[in-house]
Amino acid sequence: MTAAKLYWWASESFWKKMAIWITAASAVVLIFLTFDTVAKITAGSKRVPAYSVINHRIDYVFDEKRNHQVPVIGPEEPLFGRKLSEEEAAALVSKGKLTVQAKNCMNCHTLLGNGAYYAPDLTKAWLDPAWGSKEVREQLMVDFLIDPSDKLHNVLGRRMPKLGITEEEAHAVVAFLKWMSAIDTNGFPANFKPIEQSDTPAAANVSSAPAASQAAGAAPESTPVQ
Amino acid sequence: MLQPVELANFFTVFFSAAMVILFGALYALLFAWSRVSRRPWLMPWAYAAYAGLAASVLVLGRAANLFDGGLWTVVISLMLIGYLLAPHGVWHLCVGTHAHTGPGDT
Amino acid sequence: MATLGVLDSANLNGGQKLAVKYFTVAIALFGAQVLFGLLAGLQYLYPDFLYGVLDFSVNRMLHINAMVVWLLFGFIGAAYWLLEDEAGVPVVGLALGNLIFWVLTLAVTVVVLVYLLVQVGPGEIKSIWLINEGREYIEAPRWADIGIVVAVLVFFYNVAATFMKGRFTGIGGVLVLDLVALAGLYLAGMWYTPNVSMDQYWWWWVIHLWVEATWEVLVGCLLAYGLMKTLGVSRRIVETWLYIEVALLFGSGILGLGHHYFWIGTPEYWLAIGGFFSALEPIPLVAMVVHAVFDAGHHKLKSTNNPALAWMIAQAFGNFFGAGVWGFMHTLPQINLYTHGTQWTASHGHLAFFGAYATIVIAFVYLAVQKWRGNVWMSGEVVGSWRWKWAIFLLHVGIIGMTMALLIAGYEQSQIERAIEGSTWMGYFAAQAHPWFQQGMVWRMITGWIFAAGFLLLAWDLLTIGSRESRPARRLEPQEAMAAG
Repeated sequence: MTAAKLYWWASESFWKKMAIWITAASAVVLIFLTFDTVAKITAGSKRVPAYSVINHRIDYVFDEKRNHQVPVIGPEEPLFGRKLSEEEAAALVSKGKLTVQAKNCMNCHTLLGNGAYYAPDLTKAWLDPAWGSKEVREQLMVDFLIDPSDKLHNVLGRRMPKLGITEEEAHAVVAFLKWMSAIDTNGFPANFKPIEQSDTPAAANVSSAPAASQAAGAAPESTPVQ
Repeated sequence: MLQPVELANFFTVFFSAAMVILFGALYALLFAWSRVSRRPWLMPWAYAAYAGLAASVLVLGRAANLFDGGLWTVVISLMLIGYLLAPHGVWHLCVGTHAHTGPGDT
Repeated sequence: MATLGVLDSANLNGGQKLAVKYFTVAIALFGAQVLFGLLAGLQYLYPDFLYGVLDFSVNRMLHINAMVVWLLFGFIGAAYWLLEDEAGVPVVGLALGNLIFWVLTLAVTVVVLVYLLVQVGPGEIKSIWLINEGREYIEAPRWADIGIVVAVLVFFYNVAATFMKGRFTGIGGVLVLDLVALAGLYLAGMWYTPNVSMDQYWWWWVIHLWVEATWEVLVGCLLAYGLMKTLGVSRRIVETWLYIEVALLFGSGILGLGHHYFWIGTPEYWLAIGGFFSALEPIPLVAMVVHAVFDAGHHKLKSTNNPALAWMIAQAFGNFFGAGVWGFMHTLPQINLYTHGTQWTASHGHLAFFGAYATIVIAFVYLAVQKWRGNVWMSGEVVGSWRWKWAIFLLHVGIIGMTMALLIAGYEQSQIERAIEGSTWMGYFAAQAHPWFQQGMVWRMITGWIFAAGFLLLAWDLLTIGSRESRPARRLEPQEAMAAG
């Protein structure tokens, strides 16, 4: 056995230290980024709106500056015709999220693109043109959730099963989906064609302030024509 | 800041990305094999593989709109340099860590 | 010593006796993964199959949960396997470790029965505690989460205390620290929030930092030990390389987390971080290629256990293609915008999980069987060697076939559903109805059956290999640093 020169950069102790330092440095950077990110995705922030955003129309519009579609919070359009306080809205969306978890939605659908691929992505389900018109959408969604097994939206023989969703839970899931469609996802899904929501020329009166917490009070009072 | 890939370029992106990794591996393989088995005539082939890698990176960069002069161009440059130097660096490490038994001292 | 070729626990040390229990459950759960995968795959072709009885969501959940749990059981078993050998003393607190094995196995059984029989609950917090958490990969209800953490802590105690009492090798040190991270990260997935962006932010901490960081390092420890055992590589070299690997894997893997934060509501800087680390992540793989060639030039690949070595080589390739090639093809945000949430992910997942993890656990089970039968011959021409060779062949044909079929389906989906139709409900079904997708699902099923056949052959081989051997294992030439440590 020849005693060859052992370079410091090839020694066990050098790499042991490197392993520790690189891991620690990466972890510290991740923790800093986490503090920043958590603040920016807390409900009520610019990217993830407050739950009371469900009192408003939500659209998904191309933004020239950012070069992709972004959610736009529009005039007041309460879900199921009832304007909710921030607490009520939070409770309803939370009930919806709990239902989404308890019914295991994520093992057929994707939420924000994560989950299973047996059924459509739900990120913008609230804005999907397949619901026909915005007037019937809410009720169609509720009916579908309560018993989807014989509904038209099932395609290719794939039917969503009846999961024992109550009417209350169905309302809550719709609220959750409406709220989720207002999250700024950096343009995912791209090229999405939202359901027709503008009702009058007055629809141009759209507030682009995404912070629903502020918008809740200051939203333009455009009355839907119906 | 992002320019998503054009539909017509999807295949190019997938294919060139795969080729980046495969050429990267081929380059590393030929490079190491040439040295370990003392076959210097293999080395030009290793660099030919790297040329393939570089071409794939450039094609990928074009198809995925990475030549924006900003961060994504930096990523492209780092890939070109990183993949070129990695096998050299790792080879030195191999020789260094196997110092008692390595071909470096026989 | 007992007769060669007979399964006899007298051939094993205390930790190894526990290890083979974990391995047995792991292989059984591997079978469950295959079974529920087949059922879920069939439902793509025959949507009415088991509709309302075992819906796709249930089969798919069991398919992926069985995978997480069998790999985890395999890793825990492998760690107990090498523990006494590495530390040089009997396992500390082995009785507790044994107890926890039974508790864990019982808990897994209860969770599976609840998945199968109860399936879903009302939209209340108690459903999350008792039935199903409804979050991909970590669906286990909260009571089971707590059980898993307790079990991992006991496992950690066994490992750490044994190394403390005996000698703390490099492999031991990395293993102990990695287990702290493994247990700690699981906590990040154990709380409820209505905010889906926040939910997924922390959910990825568990999934990504387990699968692409701590699991990788754990496998690094196992491979280091495996290479010393099967090829007789010296400890100093193996451990130096283990540190290099830790530096590379954590250096690229921890912030590689960024590539999951493109589209879930998280800020735009993650696009840059994710893209940057994704582009550099294959460099460690390139490093491994150079090192493997260097090593192959050194050791003449005379191994004591051919099936185990074959599976370790399969690991190197599987990791390279599954994580490296398949990962890089769709990881840059410019293209991931269209591939995210399509069968692309499934294609990548199938090849990467099998290639990087299933392979190494199988290699360890082969090492275990060899010793369990009294360190029997398992080098060239072991009696009945066609079985392990055919098993490895069929499993690879199966997994590569499924990966390709899903790739074609995902390619079509990314174009039609994502890019052209813009991911609407109708766009989704337009893509699902496309011949490339439909035929992709057929081929996935055919290759799925091939994979299942490979699994059965593997199970048969693991039960029988070496039983008709009377030769003792090949002895490796003594190497310089066998004693160093």
